Amino acid sequence: MSTPLVAVIQFPGSNCEYETKAVIDACGMQGRIFRWNQWRELNDASPDAFILPGGFSFQDRVRAGAVGAKERIMDFVVERAGDGLPVLGICNGAQILVESGLVPGWTSGSVQAGLASNHIEGRSGYLSRWTFLKVSDHAQLVSPWLSYLSGKVVPVPIAHAEGRFVFFPGDAGRIADCSALVYCDENGEESPDYPINPNGSTENLAGIMNPAGNVLAMMPHPERAFWLWQVPIRTPGEWGDRRISANHSTAISISRGPGELFFRGLAESLAVTASEET
Amino acid sequence: MSSIAIAVRLKAPDPAAATALSTMKRISPEETPDLLQRYDYWEFTGIECTENTVREIVEHFDDIVNPNKQSWSFTPSGGLPADDGDHTSAGVLVTDREDSISENWTAILKRRGFPVEKVMHSVLWIFGFSREISCTRLKSIVAGQAVTSRRDAGLLANPVSQTVRLILEEQAGDLLNR
Repeated sequence: MSTPLVAVIQFPGSNCEYETKAVIDACGMQGRIFRWNQWRELNDASPDAFILPGGFSFQDRVRAGAVGAKERIMDFVVERAGDGLPVLGICNGAQILVESGLVPGWTSGSVQAGLASNHIEGRSGYLSRWTFLKVSDHAQLVSPWLSYLSGKVVPVPIAHAEGRFVFFPGDAGRIADCSALVYCDENGEESPDYPINPNGSTENLAGIMNPAGNVLAMMPHPERAFWLWQVPIRTPGEWGDRRISANHSTAISISRGPGELFFRGLAESLAVTASEET
Repeated sequence: MSSIAIAVRLKAPDPAAATALSTMKRISPEETPDLLQRYDYWEFTGIECTENTVREIVEHFDDIVNPNKQSWSFTPSGGLPADDGDHTSAGVLVTDREDSISENWTAILKRRGFPVEKVMHSVLWIFGFSREISCTRLKSIVAGQAVTSRRDAGLLANPVSQTVRLILEEQAGDLLNR
């Protein structure tokens, strides 16, 4: 079986695309970066999954993600998402997926959510910090990105100014259907207050998915927590303990961090065997 | 309670407006204006808030108007400036439903003793049409581009997180000619 190909879409202003490709490769898949104007090449390559990385596509002009969502390369991503292929949007990638109408995706193609400016008592504006996440019960069953997060609380960093998921008031009753990841403390307890909820996001949402579960839009950056050495040494909980234990070990350079769980889930769903991982 | 509004724009061509216009042309080439300009729109409200108050604020805080790179003018609240230009114009005023910028500036100005009860920051997009265009057609184009309802329809505002006010005034091209 050939190595699964995961396309990383690079828009003008993306960042972390090379880190994202590196962690895909480390998980036994083949990561390949496609520029936003390489839609023909993307079509020809026929990837098995797609990742829209973080950054500031088109300098966040008009509105974060608004211009990127309308690029021609997104035609192909939207089409393949409809075929059930895994799609992950990280931070600015999540903003593009929201503006594309891929998530929450209750009505196909319609924009039914927003990623608004951070707005919570005690904090506003751009925020870069580590957060804790847990996966919702339904999401871990249907999302290829989340199958390894069952029952776990993982520290993953955020870095954004517009990360507050909002919905029309009339959709309040179905937000739980799209809930994929929520902010919590190191013990898994949720709170609507800062800093556990860092941006005022509705229902403490850190990530939402489409009804089929194959498209996930998340504001935290799992590729920035892929290696254990990336986890801050004072992180409370299991991952902080692991980090301290590994601190003076040579193994720390190759030990995996909590962000790896997202990509391992994808690798498993694409039938990558453990021996293919590096 | 009186409201004083100002429109602030870059002296140099605005890259956000250029990107927005090229995006409109790509997604709906028949439904685009000839010109598109972007302004920061600030509305200051207070019982004793006057043009002199706002002039003082503008001169004091270069975060609102940086005179090195931006110009500004008073604008009728909820409207476009009086016109004498050649374009038929219309405006789209986009405001975040919950906006930290407005809240923070309200707090700052109150703390500094300015007679301002509320600050509202929005983005004002001015559509300009140099060709003959019917009012119906103008409204159709502006309304169509104002709100992103689908990936392939609309651009300027997300309907979930932002509000939109259309300002339709024919021959109100003054801003476009500055």
